This record gives sequence, structure tokens and C-alpha cells, in this order.
Amino acid sequence: MTPRTQMATSESLDREIRSPLVGIKRLNKSYIQRRPISRAKFEVTALQDASLTIARGTTFALIGESGSGKSTLARCLALLEKPTGGEIWFEGRDILELAPPELFEVRNQIQMIFQDPASALNPGMTALEIVAEPLKIQKRGSPAEQRDLALGWVARVGLPSGCEHKRPMEFSGGQRQRLAIARALVLMPKLLILDESLASLDLANQEMILKLLGDLQREHSLTYLLISHDLRQVANFANEIAVMNEGRVVEQQPAAKLFAEPRDSYTRDLLLAMPSLESIVRDRLA
Amino acid sequence: MTPRHTLRLAVLLLAVLHALILFAGFIAPYDFSSQNRDLTFAPPALIHFVDTHGRIHRRPFVYGLRFDALDPTGYKIDPSQIDPLEFLVAGAPYKIAGLFPATRHLFGVRAPSRVFLMGTDAYGRDQFSRFLYGGQISLLAGLLAAAVSLTIAVAVGALAGYYRGWIDEILMRTGELFLALPWLYLLFAVRAVLPLHIAGWQVFLLLVAVMGLLGWARPARLIRGVVLSAKERNFVLAARGFGASDFYLLGRHILPQASGVILTQLALLIPQYVLAEVTLSFLGLGVSEPTPSWGSLLSSLQQYYVLSSYWWMFLPAVLLVPVFLLYYAAANALQERFRSVQL
Amino acid sequence: MRYLSRRLIHAILLLLAISFFSFALLQIAPGDYFDSLRLNPQISSQTVDRIRAQYGLDRPFPVRYALWLGGALRGDLGYSLASNSAVGPLIGIRARNTVLLSGTATALAWLLALPIGIGSAAKRRRTVDRAAELATSALLTVPDLLLFLALLLLAVRTGWFPTGGMTSAANDESSFWGTFTDIAFHLVLPAFGLALAMLPMLVRHVRAAMIEVLEAPFVRAARGHGIPRSRVLFRYALPVASNPLIQLLGFSLATMLSTSVIAEIVLSWPGLGALMVESIFARDLYVVVAIVMLSSVFLVAGNLLADLLLLAADPRIRTE
Repeated sequence: MTPRTQMATSESLDREIRSPLVGIKRLNKSYIQRRPISRAKFEVTALQDASLTIARGTTFALIGESGSGKSTLARCLALLEKPTGGEIWFEGRDILELAPPELFEVRNQIQMIFQDPASALNPGMTALEIVAEPLKIQKRGSPAEQRDLALGWVARVGLPSGCEHKRPMEFSGGQRQRLAIARALVLMPKLLILDESLASLDLANQEMILKLLGDLQREHSLTYLLISHDLRQVANFANEIAVMNEGRVVEQQPAAKLFAEPRDSYTRDLLLAMPSLESIVRDRLA
Repeated sequence: MTPRHTLRLAVLLLAVLHALILFAGFIAPYDFSSQNRDLTFAPPALIHFVDTHGRIHRRPFVYGLRFDALDPTGYKIDPSQIDPLEFLVAGAPYKIAGLFPATRHLFGVRAPSRVFLMGTDAYGRDQFSRFLYGGQISLLAGLLAAAVSLTIAVAVGALAGYYRGWIDEILMRTGELFLALPWLYLLFAVRAVLPLHIAGWQVFLLLVAVMGLLGWARPARLIRGVVLSAKERNFVLAARGFGASDFYLLGRHILPQASGVILTQLALLIPQYVLAEVTLSFLGLGVSEPTPSWGSLLSSLQQYYVLSSYWWMFLPAVLLVPVFLLYYAAANALQERFRSVQL
Repeated sequence: MRYLSRRLIHAILLLLAISFFSFALLQIAPGDYFDSLRLNPQISSQTVDRIRAQYGLDRPFPVRYALWLGGALRGDLGYSLASNSAVGPLIGIRARNTVLLSGTATALAWLLALPIGIGSAAKRRRTVDRAAELATSALLTVPDLLLFLALLLLAVRTGWFPTGGMTSAANDESSFWGTFTDIAFHLVLPAFGLALAMLPMLVRHVRAAMIEVLEAPFVRAARGHGIPRSRVLFRYALPVASNPLIQLLGFSLATMLSTSVIAEIVLSWPGLGALMVESIFARDLYVVVAIVMLSSVFLVAGNLLADLLLLAADPRIRTE
């Protein structure tokens, strides 16, 4: 197990930077769906007045059961979905109120890594094209510069040289996820959202990628939003944790405090459901 | 044969076929309208290498024709008249693909002899030449109309599937309307409201336009389905996360996913439209004389004496079968290939 | 019930849209249609004026459309130039002939397609299936035109069947049986040809529908219980497969008026398709539009019928 000291601690950073990187205030999101054939409408609420703050340079974890709204919140933050109500503050601006040109700017500050690496990469494109695509879309630099930058990142994430002309099919799951990370970082974002990004990988790969992520965070002062239902990983790597249940953020605390003194009954039940956590919790308290 | 190989073979053969038709002027020994009033309904000439005396000739040849009132066809082969085939002969002027003038033909015989590989019709016009030229009209009509239909289908399918909402509603309802129209009758009806004898190329373009406009609904629905599922794919979301415009997303990521559907529909629509054109010109509603079309070549068969006595007039219809066979084989292979690859 | 009324309204709106479309088509015809009517010596100028007033040619488009639509709903579909009579009855007779032909052909096609399709699905991948697939593929590539021309050739050469028309000129008998056999003889070739033309697609769809059902878990469970194959096929699989098959039937019915065009032309069957072509040459536009409308009605009605049958047959839809 990689010790948590590789990740920056939230206490030291809080002293440096006052305002949080991200502030989500009372976010609401509901969908209208139709029953088959009779086409009667019914409403599904994914987010209900969800609020949380993420400090700069930290790893923030969002935990909860399936269907608790974690992914929806992440997608709203990544501007992939439009919430039905609430505010999202990023670096002091409400990004839900921005005009398209400014929005375009903000998009390269927040990036997302999906759970399934295979579906996140266009099977018809080569690795180089995939990693260079964000640069192309955001029109950064000449084609030659884009190519060099992309190649640099491909190497940085640990992929062997000469692989840039291969298609996603020819890579393993772990390698594909590395490609996705390279693509996400090529625009030097401030916030990286990891939506169950490690869930589809085997343990060895998970370890390697977590190490990579840790190194990258220190090198580039990245902030991570980690969504996971693997409480062990969360316990080891998160600085701050928020718990979600049925669309609400039930509690948000620094990691150690959450495990030691969970305030909400739901959190307590969640933690108790994982007996192996006891030893880890005791470690952190020590 | 694997679908892949079938597809390759079919496409190859189709390419050869279309090339042959494209170079109709070169391959056909005669012009499509030149008449030989003295040789009406002449039977096809067979190519021989060995003559009646058993001699082998270096060049392939055909026999001359003589009149014979006693023969049911009215002609008899004259073995004494040997007309060797010559290649790359100078002949009637024509234009390659309608643009470049030329006079060399692939083969021919020295005048005043004639070589009719598929016989002649009521005006003594060479059916082989007319078949090749007719193919230009019929195949082009099919290809153009299919292109029109698919272009509309892609646009409609993309808009409806991507933007959903009221655009989707309106477009799909309109599609339903088009699907509910009896397209063959409607085609007839449009032809009906046009003056019967307007310029050939105008008729052609109008018919192509109408056929194309009538057939977009079904492929549009299929493409819409693909767009609907493709736009939720994570790699599309990722690109959107980088700030890609809708146009970029559709062109680079979403529509390529529909390439299978598009190609399959193309392979199905082209023969359908070719057949529609053939039907129309068979009925005399297509391009006007003397421009031949595969359908007009067959229209004389509606007369009993032609039908029963002059079997070679059937040949254009028989030759349609391999054309459709190739297209359907390609369509099947495409369906197989794109069904197994779930992108 | 809500479903039913929704579909009905949908169908009516669709038909209205089509009628508008068809009528607009009529207006594109260059020149005043009635000028050419006037030139026809068989029609008195009083008739022309009466028709003119009746169809309101000097009134604006919406009025003309309303007049035409009103007339159409009452059964007055306009005036036929070529036959100097009202369009309605003329089309009625021809439509009856067409339905006789396509109806027989459709029935024949279904009678053949069901056993072949079900048999192919049941004995999948074995000789029966492969042979059937080969035959249907071959049939599919033969264009209808060639098929009917070949049948005509057969008739001309062998004399076994009449070479065209619906009745023989020589047949003056007013006896029912005499007329019946006469028409039946004339019906053989066109109906057979049309059935052959419909067969390939039909067999394919039946086979596909059956295969889908036969691969369902409940069928395998039934076999696993030891229920004999034929019983599984007929009492378990077929009822479930009837869902898509009914839709297919609806589609067959829907296209009944338009599939027989080539057959009618080549084999001189006096139906709607033949009338359509004649009318185009005669510039008899009201007939043309009326035929388009009628076949649209059939199309929409056929699809609606299919949906209704589905509603009756499939309990799942009813419970929503």
C-alpha cells in the first residue's frame, strides 16, 4: 500500500490558499423520463441541494452508494450536463453563468477521466491523435507543437515509445487509462475528476496508476476529485471526503476526522459496512 | 467466403462494371442512335476462332448476315463472309464520360460489315452499344438518387438525433409522412405533371431529384438511432469536455459511427433506384428517345411478336440480374461486417 | 383505448397532410388544365364551365383545396378527361381488380412464406435452410420486370395461360361459374408472378422473426422439459412470433395497391397501376392524384390495422 504522505496534506495547503478551487452550492438536477408505451412522465431527482467545497491542490473524495448522485455531480462540474438549479464556483466565478467564449476557456481547466477507458477513446483514432485532440480543439500551437506536446505526455504517463500510431484496441486496459490521463492533462487543467477511474483495472494496474497520479499531482499542483466506492483507496489517498446519499451531500470532512468521528448516521453505517477499515482508521488516528 | 472477402470481391466487380459503363463510348462499337434500316431485328453475332473449314484464325471473327425469308429470324449466317474483329479501330466520334472527345473504339469490323454482339432492334440499332449507353443513364440515375437520399438522411438523422426536442419531433413526423407515401405512384404522378416531351436531361435530373427526395426517411431513422447512442459515448463526452463544437463532434466522432449504416443503405438504395428508373423508362416515362436506358431497351418486349421471335431483346433484362446480385451481395456483406463490429 | 384514439388521430392527420401534398402536386401542372379539356371535342364547353365552377379555379388556393377535399370526402374525386366520366367509379372498378390480383398474390405468398420461413428457422443451417436461402436470394436479384416478361413469354410460347387481360373477349357467358373460371385462368400468371416477387423478403422476415423467438430462453426451457419439438414450435414459439408477423401482414396489406404495377402493365391486367400509366399519357391529372390518394389511404390504413391487431394480440401493450 502506498503511504498517504505522497499526497499533499490539506492542512498545509489550506494555510497557503484561502479560497477553495471549487465551490458547489445547492446543486439540483432532475430528469424527466417516460414510461414505455403509455409515455406517462415521471421525474427522477439525481441531485438535491448538493453542496461542497474543494480546496486547491488536494485530493477530494466523493463516496456513496450507486445512484447516490456522485457521477451526476461530477458531470455537472465537468460541464457535461446542465444542472436544473444551483451554482458552481470555480476560481471565483460561477461557471454556470458564463458566456460561451469564457466557457471555452474554463473547459480546459476541468478535465474528467471516465471509468471505462475503452469507451472513452475513439476506437478509430490513433494514440497520438487522441492525446493531441484537446490541443487541436482548443487551437493551441502549431500542429508540430501539438504533436510534440502530445508525444511528451504519452511518454510521461509511462507508455512505451513507438506506440503512438496504435489504436486503443491494441492497448491493455491499464494502458488505455494512461492514455486517457495523458489526454486529460495535455491542456494543463487545474482540476482532474476521476470518476471510478480505477474500478475497471486489476490491482497491480491500480497501484501503478495511483502512483502515477500522485507523482503528477505533486509535479503540476493538480487538484483531484476522486469518486470511488472503494473505501480503502479513499481512506489512503483522500485529504477530504464528502459522503453522498440520494442526491444530497450528507457530510464533508477532512479524511481523518470522517473516519474517527463521522457526524452523520448514514456515514457511520457506510463505514461500518467495511470491517477492514478498522485497521486503517486506527492507523490514521495514530 | 468470409464477409470481408465477399465484400471486396463484390466491390471490385462493381467497380469493373461501372468502369465499363463509364467507358461505354470506347467499348461500344457503334453510336446508340445510328440506325441500320436494312438490318432490323438481326440476331446476335457469335465470335468464332475456328471457321467452318476447320481453320483456326489468329483474330476472332464474326460471320456476315444474309437475308433469308425462310428463316424465322429473317436472316441466315453466311459462312463465306468472314469479318475479323479489329481492335482500337477508328469509328464514330463520341465523348468519354461526356467530356473528352475521341474516335477510337475498342473493337469493330471493317465496313460495310457489322458486328452486333447483342443483335439489333426494330430500327437496326446495335443493342450492345445501346446497352452500354443505357447503363450510363440507369446506373447514374440510381447512384445520384441514392446520393441525394443519403445526404438528406444524414443531415436529418444527425439533427434529429443530436438535438432531440422539437427538431426531432418535426423531422421524424415528416419522415413518417414520406414513408406513408406510395413512392412509385408518386414518382409517376410527378412525371405526370411534367410536360411529356421536355428535354431529356431535365427529365433525368427531375426524376433523380424526386426519387432522392422520396427515399430519405428510412435511412434517416436508422442514422438517427446511431447518433442517439453515439452521442452518449464517453469519447464524445470527453471531446465535448475539451470544448469541441457540435459540428466537430458530429463530423469527427458521431457520424463516423454511422458509416456502417450509411454504406449498407447505399448498397440497398442504389439497385432500388436503378430499378425505379428502369421501370419508368420501360413505361416510356423516363428519358426520351433516342437516348437509351435499360428500361427503354426492354419496352419493345411488350409486343408479342418481339417477345416470341427475337429472344435477344431479353438480354438487357437478364444482364440486370448480375448487377443486382453484386449490389445485394455487397449489402449483405456490409450488414454482416458492421453487425459484428459493435463500435 | 387512449392508444387507439391516438393512433387514429395520427392516421387522420397523416392522410390530411398527404391529401394536401397530392393536391398541391396537381397545381404544379403547367398551363390551365381546363384549356386542354376545352380542346377535346367530346366534352361540351358547358361541361367544362360547370367543372370549372365546381372546382373553383378562379378562387385562391386554400378555397380550391377545401372544395376538392370536400368533394373527395363525399366521393367526388374529380373528372376524368380520357374516359369522360367521374373519377370515383372509374377508380373503384380498377381498384377492385387490383385488390383481386394483389390479394390473391399476397395470400399465395404468405401461404408459401410461412412454411418455408418457419421450416428454415426450425432447421437452421441445415440443407433445407441453405436451399431456401439460396432460392430466395436468387429470386431477390431477379427484377420484377424480368420475372413478368418471362411469364409472358411462357404464356405466348406455350399457350397454357392467357397472355393478358382479365377476361377473354370470347367469354360472353353470364354464368357465375363461367366467369369465375375465366378470370381465374387469367389470374394465374400475374398472381403467381407477384407472389414470387413478394416471396423473398417475406420469407426472410418470417425466418428472422422465428429465429429470434426460438432463441429465447423460454423456448429452450420448454424443450428442456421434454416437450416435443413440433409442439414447442406451434404452441409456444409461433404465438410469440406472431407479434412481428402481424406487423408484417399489415405492411403487406398496406402496399397492396402499389405492388402490382409492373404485373398489371406487362400482363395487361386492368388494374389501378395500368390506369395510372394510361392517365399519365392522357394527362388525366385528377385520376392520377386520386390514385395517389387511394393508395396512401391503403398504406396508412394497413399500418393502422397492423397496430390495432398488435394491440389485440399482445397483452403487454394493453395493460399500459
